[in-house]
Amino acid sequence: MAQTLLSVLVRLETIEKINPLLLGAVMPPTTFSIASRDELWLRGALIESRLMHGVATQHGDAIEASDARDDELVHACDRAIDAARAAVASFRDARLRIVVRATHDGIETTMTIAVDGVSVVTTPSDALADYELLHRVRNGSAPLRGAIVWQNGSAAVLLHEAFGHANEHDAAPVTWPSWLSIDAPLASRRETFRDVPLMRMTHLIARQTNAPFVMPDERIEVQLVAGGAYDPMTDVVTVDVAVSSAGPFTIRRSRAEIAASLAGASGEPIRYPGVICSREGQELYVASHAPLMITDGLL
Amino acid sequence: MTYRKVGRVVRYENGTRISISEIGEASEEDGVFHARPAVEGPAQTRVSVPHSALADLETFVAETGANVAQTLLSVRSGRIERFIASAGIATHEINGSRWTEESRRVHISLVNAPLRALIDLASFDVEIVAKIADALARAGGERDSPKRIRLAPNVSAALLPSLIGELAMEQTGGGFDGRGRPIETRAVTHDPPPNWYRPGYAVRPLRAWMNIRALPFGRIDHDAPIAIALLEPVHGTSLRVLCVDGDDVFPTTVDGSHIAAVSREEPVWYPYAAGSFGVEMML
Repeated sequence: MAQTLLSVLVRLETIEKINPLLLGAVMPPTTFSIASRDELWLRGALIESRLMHGVATQHGDAIEASDARDDELVHACDRAIDAARAAVASFRDARLRIVVRATHDGIETTMTIAVDGVSVVTTPSDALADYELLHRVRNGSAPLRGAIVWQNGSAAVLLHEAFGHANEHDAAPVTWPSWLSIDAPLASRRETFRDVPLMRMTHLIARQTNAPFVMPDERIEVQLVAGGAYDPMTDVVTVDVAVSSAGPFTIRRSRAEIAASLAGASGEPIRYPGVICSREGQELYVASHAPLMITDGLL
Repeated sequence: MTYRKVGRVVRYENGTRISISEIGEASEEDGVFHARPAVEGPAQTRVSVPHSALADLETFVAETGANVAQTLLSVRSGRIERFIASAGIATHEINGSRWTEESRRVHISLVNAPLRALIDLASFDVEIVAKIADALARAGGERDSPKRIRLAPNVSAALLPSLIGELAMEQTGGGFDGRGRPIETRAVTHDPPPNWYRPGYAVRPLRAWMNIRALPFGRIDHDAPIAIALLEPVHGTSLRVLCVDGDDVFPTTVDGSHIAAVSREEPVWYPYAAGSFGVEMML
């Protein structure tokens, strides 16, 4: 039935995008195993704790999945979450979500740290620095006009939406500045054994080479971004700024307008404190780096 | 008090079929919520949903495949951006209660740029999908909201959770909630709901009004324009909808906070919030 369904989909061309993994319908079966631990801490007290494990075997466009346990992966999760807890034990004023995912490709530990309603996503090695950043940044009340200076690597979020997600959706090309190069490779990724794998970004690193850079007199300085979105139907990018010299605000512009707004950059890529990327309900960590950047014409 | 769920679900997701079997447990101790897979042997041998229900599921899986193909055929005039259909069966145990539930879900987003129609159903309804696809293909430009407008059942069901405490409605009795308590017919008010909603074993249950339905009143004007589909998720009581007025089809935004009439026709259940019955309503 699944093969029949696929042939109907292809013949009718009514479905916008066939999962590229279906093209491997004649490939041998593949198996994906995962274990994860997920804890929610509020002001030093454990509130929620979850263990998840399972295996998914894919034959062409059909996947059989169960919550079968791989002890090796579960034990790897246990060790990693012990280490993660130790890294954040002193963050008593924060809301913390720690997620450890172990697959046969490796172990990934991420932490979402929220203080006073503003959050970052980080890893154990950067947790302390990002926790301190959360206490350092402050919203200002400057008028919302002028250029935007994207600090702390926050331009990576803008590019995550405007370049990375657009690439996932095979969007038509737009013209980016010649001084900008973006490394945002796609790979087959899924959140859990229950999910259909999709071609998703693994990371995004933006670099500049001989970019112009003149700090504008009238500017809004962005410190942290709350979230963003890309709509493949309208080609519109939305970015919600959480902390800036003008307070929280939202940018909603076409991808071409975003690309045209890039006015300059300086220095090496800076690690932005993380992006949890949600697509088709699957949340995945995407490491994100961008230099100090300037956009003009978005406000 | 440990909650235990034994379940199997089959889902079509944009061309891929995924079949999932699992057993999970959840508990709350001293304010801490714990969830984990059950710790016995391989899941495939542990799944013990009733045999007859499992046979029904296999039948439904085959029917679902056919329905998916029929649905795709019904949308010749538009593009399907997203198509997810699932059929599931689960046995729940908690506090001495044990019950089995079956579920059906369909989510389709149809696009005719710059419009996107969102369809969420608890059954395959090829007719409604075809009707919305046809209207979407004929849609013109944005218009102001008509003074009087009807909401189709699939639209009113999405609005209903935003009107709790504002519109006369009741919780429909039947079945059990996420803590094994019977769901009884009650008037829906601003007060804390008596029941708990647990959408999955790994999700901490929350108090919620279950399976809400608006109580009928007033008179539906069957000549009024009708909103047949959502074009965006509901924001509060603001609805961006695809409206049909005679031969005209157009997108518009309506304020759903003042309901003028609720039809007396038999309502249909939709998968919004903790369950919502849709019936034609009039603004």
